[in-house]
Amino acid sequence: MAREKVPGIVAIFSYLDDICKTVETIDKRRDFDGHEVYSHTSYHELIHLAEDKYGSSEVKWFTLVGALTGVCSGFAMCLWMDYDWPIVVGGKTAGIYSLPAYVVFGFELMILLGALATILGMFVMGRFPNPKDTVLDPRLSDDKFAVYLPGVSPDSEQAKLLKDLGAEEVYSTTGR
Amino acid sequence: MVSIWQGSYREIVWGAFMSDAVDWDKSVSDVNNGVLAATGKPHPTFYVALGLSLVCLVIGIVAWALQITYGTGMAGLNSPVYWGVYITDFVFWVGIGHAGTLISAILFLFRAKWRNSINRSAEAMTVFAVITAGLFPLIHVGRVWLAAYWMVPLPNTNNLWVNFRSPLMWDVFAISTYLTVSLTFWYMGLVPDLASMRDRTRGYKRLIYGFLSFGWTGTLRQWHHYEAGYGFLAALATPLVLSVHSIVSWDFAMSVQPGWHTTIFPPYFVAGAILSGCAMVYTLVLPFRKMFNLEGFIRHEHLEALIKLTLLTSTIVAYAYGIEFFIAWYSGNPYEWIIFQKRAYGPYAFYFWVMTFCNCVFPLAFWSKKVRNNTTACFIICVLVNVGMWFERYNIIISSLVEDFIPGSWGHYEPSLTEIAITIGSFGWFFTWLLIFCRFFPFVSMSELKLIMPKPMRPKDKSLAA
Repeated sequence: MAREKVPGIVAIFSYLDDICKTVETIDKRRDFDGHEVYSHTSYHELIHLAEDKYGSSEVKWFTLVGALTGVCSGFAMCLWMDYDWPIVVGGKTAGIYSLPAYVVFGFELMILLGALATILGMFVMGRFPNPKDTVLDPRLSDDKFAVYLPGVSPDSEQAKLLKDLGAEEVYSTTGR
Repeated sequence: MVSIWQGSYREIVWGAFMSDAVDWDKSVSDVNNGVLAATGKPHPTFYVALGLSLVCLVIGIVAWALQITYGTGMAGLNSPVYWGVYITDFVFWVGIGHAGTLISAILFLFRAKWRNSINRSAEAMTVFAVITAGLFPLIHVGRVWLAAYWMVPLPNTNNLWVNFRSPLMWDVFAISTYLTVSLTFWYMGLVPDLASMRDRTRGYKRLIYGFLSFGWTGTLRQWHHYEAGYGFLAALATPLVLSVHSIVSWDFAMSVQPGWHTTIFPPYFVAGAILSGCAMVYTLVLPFRKMFNLEGFIRHEHLEALIKLTLLTSTIVAYAYGIEFFIAWYSGNPYEWIIFQKRAYGPYAFYFWVMTFCNCVFPLAFWSKKVRNNTTACFIICVLVNVGMWFERYNIIISSLVEDFIPGSWGHYEPSLTEIAITIGSFGWFFTWLLIFCRFFPFVSMSELKLIMPKPMRPKDKSLAA
């Protein structure tokens, strides 16, 4: 089912310390439920706040599962193909006795599938690509920060609080 | 007398990872405007460079077409030298590709700030260099349309599988993994910048950049998982970059050929690869930053740190050259020792001395801070290092193959015109892709560059903030 756009407000910030203080403040308040914070880059101050908010990233589990699948499939592929049709070269017996040579395949596939699974994790957990999502303000990929809050107007108490916290601009939006 | 030798080895090693503090004259707000303005309108020299690259590419395509038509005899490969310029080119281009991952992954884990201004260009260089390297085994085997059956585990008509104990098979997996991981690492780094480009364009361009950026919006949730994932990708790419050239070196070291069968090869190849890669990054970044007006973002402090890294790897390579000779003598193996003597004084001595001077002697000038800050001198030395690294691979491959255990099978090898033309073509192929990339995509990682610039903090003086 397609997500419906909810009108709300966008508060634009220019300074990192202002947006950090805002995130700390509004995260504790129930009247800011459903808000979203935007940044043009990954300042460590914001990433630390995100860890407090969302907890440790689950991407690590994608990496672990991908890497383990890779290392097992690398060894399994070599052993299966070796037993399917043993190729004895230079008197070296096939199969389990050649395991040291197969470390390379286990290692390479561990890295390959681990990396691909990590990217899958970044997409799934970051909830993108999302064709329904819209760009709130083009300045957010340039040098501004923002807070989007659905279901309120620029005259609301929440908008006043955001202005007090350093927002330079608060305007209404048709939603994201 | 003022000594020109400035800086201890410790300072060089430290400087290779931590650049000097930069006195920025630009702010975070200037990044997108500065980087993207140049992307749309490059300097006229861009078109000259693109034209030259296309000419080189056409030369290579014609030579390859002739080789396919008339057979691999045109390559000049014959007993006892079955690996010639094509394998030299393969190892050279794989080596070039190593600095990109070193700069983007290893220096990321070390939190070396200077890498943020050049990591995009280094990663692009890696991707195109590895693609170029991947062409050479195909060119080398001749009947390129059959290569899939020789290179990947597909059952052939006799239901045989490939030989997993062959280092050549290890190489196929290593290089294809390296290409895939480098490509994805590079592309994921591009995603926030593509979103910036989408937000500045209109019409079909906006649609294309929007599609390429996967609808990135820059929410805190996205950055949170993106940063975690980027760190894991860097952690996976780090052992990968060290393994890939080690595996390439096993193509040689696993044989019993004198001059190849040595345990020093993996670290020696990795150090050489990083040396050539760093030199190539400098060779590319210097003209490109002028071409795209990026001098304000790729600062001389960053270039100096890159030169320190080049010097550091040059000293490791020089040490490896020395130890290789020592082992050949100390082993008491007459076949091994005579090969090394002939490398220095035999018919291929020219290649050996070019290699030694370009990789070990000329970079010594980088000990001087004056030279490190002279971009013209650094550019010339870096080009020489690239020449030296190509000669190193040529020297290793050819001098060991021409004379093995049986004097009756000894021979001589000179590159044919076809091989030279295809080598020129490989440079054309590499530079064409790189120039096209720079024309349409940001050459500097904007989102990462903002992280090393002064943070946008509210000024203490309230009138300034207003």
